[in-house]
Amino acid sequence: MWTIAKLTFREIVSKRIFLITILMTIAFVTLYGVAIHFAVQETGPMMSNTMDNALQNKFFASQLLGVGLYFSSFITALLAILSSVSSIASEVDSHQIDTWLMRPISRTQFVLGKVIGLGGLLVMYAIALFVSITLIHQIVGGEMMELPIGIAQMMKAVSIFILQPIILVTLGVMLSTRMTTLNAGIVLIILYGAAFIGGFVEQIGTLMEKAALINIGIVTSLIFPVDAMYRKMTVLLFDTADNPISFAQQGMFASASAPSNLMIIYAILYGAVMLFIAILTFKKRDV
Amino acid sequence: MNVIEASNLTKTYDGKGGISNVTLEIGEGIVYGFLGPNGAGKSTFVRTMLGLLNPTGGEGKLLGEPIGKPESREKVGYLPELFRYPDWLTGRKLLESHAELCNMPVRGRKKRIEEVIELVGLTGRDHEKIKGYSKGMSQRIGLACALLNDPKLIFLDEPTSALDPIGRKDVRDLMLYLKDQGKTIFLNSHLLNEVETVCDHVSIVHKGEHIVQGEWRQLMMIEAQVEIVIAANSNQYMNQLPEYVKYHEKKNDEGELTRWTVQMEKQEQVPALISSLASAGVPVFEVTPITPHLEDVFMHWVNQKEEGAYVDNR
Repeated sequence: MWTIAKLTFREIVSKRIFLITILMTIAFVTLYGVAIHFAVQETGPMMSNTMDNALQNKFFASQLLGVGLYFSSFITALLAILSSVSSIASEVDSHQIDTWLMRPISRTQFVLGKVIGLGGLLVMYAIALFVSITLIHQIVGGEMMELPIGIAQMMKAVSIFILQPIILVTLGVMLSTRMTTLNAGIVLIILYGAAFIGGFVEQIGTLMEKAALINIGIVTSLIFPVDAMYRKMTVLLFDTADNPISFAQQGMFASASAPSNLMIIYAILYGAVMLFIAILTFKKRDV
Repeated sequence: MNVIEASNLTKTYDGKGGISNVTLEIGEGIVYGFLGPNGAGKSTFVRTMLGLLNPTGGEGKLLGEPIGKPESREKVGYLPELFRYPDWLTGRKLLESHAELCNMPVRGRKKRIEEVIELVGLTGRDHEKIKGYSKGMSQRIGLACALLNDPKLIFLDEPTSALDPIGRKDVRDLMLYLKDQGKTIFLNSHLLNEVETVCDHVSIVHKGEHIVQGEWRQLMMIEAQVEIVIAANSNQYMNQLPEYVKYHEKKNDEGELTRWTVQMEKQEQVPALISSLASAGVPVFEVTPITPHLEDVFMHWVNQKEEGAYVDNR
């Protein structure tokens, strides 16, 4: 299992697409830092120290951090989708899997190895991106962008942030055991898109107090709880997020409708069930 | 102990294709040829034995363990026909990964890796990425993988298909070396002369059916054909040959002698023919058995199957 995990990890790292992703991530983080710098420079002199402006500052700061984290979540998700949907299907297609599976390892160990390798890499990537964005926001933004984020809040938020790639990887690997890379990719992107849109619909529904819109968001979260985890992460990061003024602070990239703690348990179970289905499917599959 | 056992092992796809009802037992130290044309189901059988395909019927064992269980593959090596290895790894890293998967003791790994690299002739190229390997080199690293865990049983699926004549000879020599080491080799091949060169026992498969199995020499005795040289003045006797002679033909005259080709149903009828000629007073100067063409042997058994039933010559 650990050998497969190591090989999976090394394989992704060795691919050109990973190098491109890392370079583009560095470019994104740099650009984000530059944007924060100019945002502070351009808007700073206009702000005075009145109560209204302090609130406006918080709103502005949380919006910029929310955008950075939302995009971070998006590129982590894309990397998770692209790497997981081909993890088993492409090896079956090319018969590369034959010489691995004829070794004295079980199919269960093979699937677990794939999930651990992919999940491990993506968790590291997600943590690095989350910490980079938050630190750049707080350091480059200085006093104007300062948000009351403690270490404990950061830890809690990161632990939920990394649930997103883990869920994506388990679902991606599960799809990869059942269908071709292309089909698995299409299904996973559509599901991710549905969760993404469902999340926004739910926020709008909460703002407008429309039950139907909220229910659509809840249903999409149950089908694919990735966006719900992002929303929960923002609640944990900005611990005032579920009070009445928090949405005013955070806008569309945070959570007007805060997912419950039960949703975290549901998301973890969701990943576990997907992994279980992946193992069952792969055990029965001819390669 | 039987190294390979299959009892009515079947793998079909919606009842079609694949291979049906293969029953065989292969002991230790045997080089076993699984012979058949492309698409006969040879690879399907091997892949089913290795647990890559789930059987649709029957059962099988490798080294006493039921197929599908990881334990059945502990001392097994495999060179697939469609070999493809992670091209981002170097040859050596590939072997190191396989050594880990085989649970080989860490202490002896490096030495064993060196040994197999040398055995397959990749010394000096093992630190290169597989991406840069030629097809022949890829096949060699595949062989190194197959031999890495010092297996008792090695499945070779068309092992010379990608090789040039020198490479083919190297692989044949390697098979003979492994045979001398007491390894059991299961050779899938459509190349009749390859099977003839190295195999002791053979199975012939055709269109997913197991046609015949047995010792290669026995399977070759599909008919008794001899060349006889008799005195030319006795040629008239050749029109009064016993009934078991299926066919005879004058080949050529050599002075006072004449050369004939005579075909009988069974090898055992050759002494009877000689006796019959001798008792008729025909001077026999030479009797030479004619080895049938490999293609003829193969077609003989295929036709036998189409006419009748499976032949077990074990």
